[in-house]
Amino acid sequence: MLSIQNLHACIGDRKILKGLSLEVRAGEVHAIMGPNGSGKSTLASVLAGRAGYEVTEGRVLYLGQDLLALEPEERARAGLFLAFQYPVEIPGVNNAYLLKAALNAVRRQRGLPELDAFDFLALIRGKMKLMQMDESFLNRGVNEGFSGGEKKRNEILQMAVIEPRLALLDETDSGLDIDALRVVANGVNSLRGPERAIVMVTHYQRLLDYIEPDFVHVLSDGQILKSGDKSLALELERRGYDWVRQEARVA
Amino acid sequence: MNAVTADALAHFRAEFEAARGRGPVGVAQRAAAFERFAALGFPAPRDEAWKYTTLRRLEARRFPSHPTLHKMPVLPPAVAAQRLLVVDGRLHAGPTQVHLPQGLRLRNLAEAQADGESLAALLRVTQGGGTERFAALNAALCPDALLLDVAEGAAPEPLEILLGTSPAQPGMSHPRLVIRAARGSTARILLRHSGDDAERWVNSVVDVEVGPDATVHLYRLLDSGARGFHIERVEATVAQRGTFVAHDAQLGAGLARIDLFVRLAAPQAAAELTGLFLADGARHLDSHVRVDHMAVETRSLQDYRGIAAGRGRAVFNGKAVVHEGAQRSKARQSSRNLLLTPGAEIDTKPELEIYADDVQCSHGATTGQLDPVALFYLRTRGLSESEARSALTRAFTGAVLSRIDHPGFADLVRGLLDSRLGQLLEARQ
Repeated sequence: MLSIQNLHACIGDRKILKGLSLEVRAGEVHAIMGPNGSGKSTLASVLAGRAGYEVTEGRVLYLGQDLLALEPEERARAGLFLAFQYPVEIPGVNNAYLLKAALNAVRRQRGLPELDAFDFLALIRGKMKLMQMDESFLNRGVNEGFSGGEKKRNEILQMAVIEPRLALLDETDSGLDIDALRVVANGVNSLRGPERAIVMVTHYQRLLDYIEPDFVHVLSDGQILKSGDKSLALELERRGYDWVRQEARVA
Repeated sequence: MNAVTADALAHFRAEFEAARGRGPVGVAQRAAAFERFAALGFPAPRDEAWKYTTLRRLEARRFPSHPTLHKMPVLPPAVAAQRLLVVDGRLHAGPTQVHLPQGLRLRNLAEAQADGESLAALLRVTQGGGTERFAALNAALCPDALLLDVAEGAAPEPLEILLGTSPAQPGMSHPRLVIRAARGSTARILLRHSGDDAERWVNSVVDVEVGPDATVHLYRLLDSGARGFHIERVEATVAQRGTFVAHDAQLGAGLARIDLFVRLAAPQAAAELTGLFLADGARHLDSHVRVDHMAVETRSLQDYRGIAAGRGRAVFNGKAVVHEGAQRSKARQSSRNLLLTPGAEIDTKPELEIYADDVQCSHGATTGQLDPVALFYLRTRGLSESEARSALTRAFTGAVLSRIDHPGFADLVRGLLDSRLGQLLEARQ
């Protein structure tokens, strides 16, 4: 589904990704872990198409097409979803409006008819229940005045409504208390399936107690140094990141 | 006085003599007003009140008055159930033929004079501000004035006043409207300036007196052709516990200047002034708002949002003056501005002058472009760039639109804005 090949990216003169490669197949859940400044959020940003990053080498194939040639909205319509580390507050743009516009953009792309207000509301109600969100959130501005936890839940609500093929979660666990983390993990787990892939970028192992990954990768200084199964995450939790770096230097 | 000004003055003097020949009501007041205009002339190049707005093009034009109406302008659909039509400053139907909401009384100058009303008050020219000269010219040249009285304690249905001009030909008009709300009354007046694409000058004066415990809501829409000049002076004096509420939507002419001056003359008087302006194309829109807090416990709010695009330029100058002795007064000002394209410009200057020590005042001004982070966020949710820009632009105007409590007027302004913003976004594609 997603094939990242020798990806180099920089912001201005600063090189951040230095030859990152990763293969993600449908049905898989990957966790990318790494210390601060290792390039985790840059990877998520480059994949989603944020401006300001320059890809200097390598390529990214998504469902067989050149992902980096697509505009952010084209990536979204092709089924790629980024849950933001810092969801943006947009006063005056209604949450329900955004959910409906986002859903219908994907449905148009898939050749499905747009949902009318009645079907949309029925769908949303179910998903909001899953995310334990009150319906009053629908009529508020996007993330406007939401707490940190509410913002993250709103991201996963959008994801649950859009049902993307490939979900990128950028530090989705940061700033969450344990109850909110459980709700968010529930939402993510409900989307696991053979047709869908999930890539989580995270600093801490904690999230992985709730969303079990099939693969864990260690990102350091713009490269994936080591890959393994979920036991690698536990080892990282116990031993930190330094031993991986040392191991890589020796090799 | 330079040669252009002398020549312009000769033109207006000829217009004034012709108007005087038609025997208007209030000849003495008009002659004095004309001399006031002649003494002030057009703004000099370094006039602080006209810092960002030059009237050279207007000064060079010799627009004729149209003493008789040859053809009716095309009228936009009404927004309120009752509408008065004023063309070239004259009520189109005689006041007796107009069905007015209960609690309102309408008279023209001749009728008001016959009733013993003071012509000096109805044709008064207040001093100060950049538009005093034009208010004086209006008093000299207005073919009539409309006096609208709201009866004590009355709360009439909203009244729309459509101000139009002779269609398809260059000309000038000087409409004049006086609104007086008696004690305890509540009035909603929708003022709409509309006009076609002919070159013209509308020089309008609106004088509002808000009585004790009365409230006047003035909804004002300027939506005339892009080749027109529009100058307007709106003055309101608010008595004890009275409230003046203004909703201003400034979408054109080509060059427009409005001075909105409010005097909170007695304790607990209040003003809530909100406005939107959209300077697209080559439009130049200049708003000067000033609130004078003259008495204790007066309150004012100025909340203006402006958008400029293309070669458009807008000016917002908002001022609140808390005079000596006006203790425990509150003044809030906010001016937020959005530049949709790099060539556009907005100059904003919120000012506070405070001469009392026990007051609460705040002001803020921002000018910027659409937030690139918010644009990206919306695009990652599948919205196209133009959909995202449109959603954010509408969100920007929505905060002020949502304060307009007359649904018909709110829909009208929203519709006009949507269509203009839609054209802007299409042009970007």
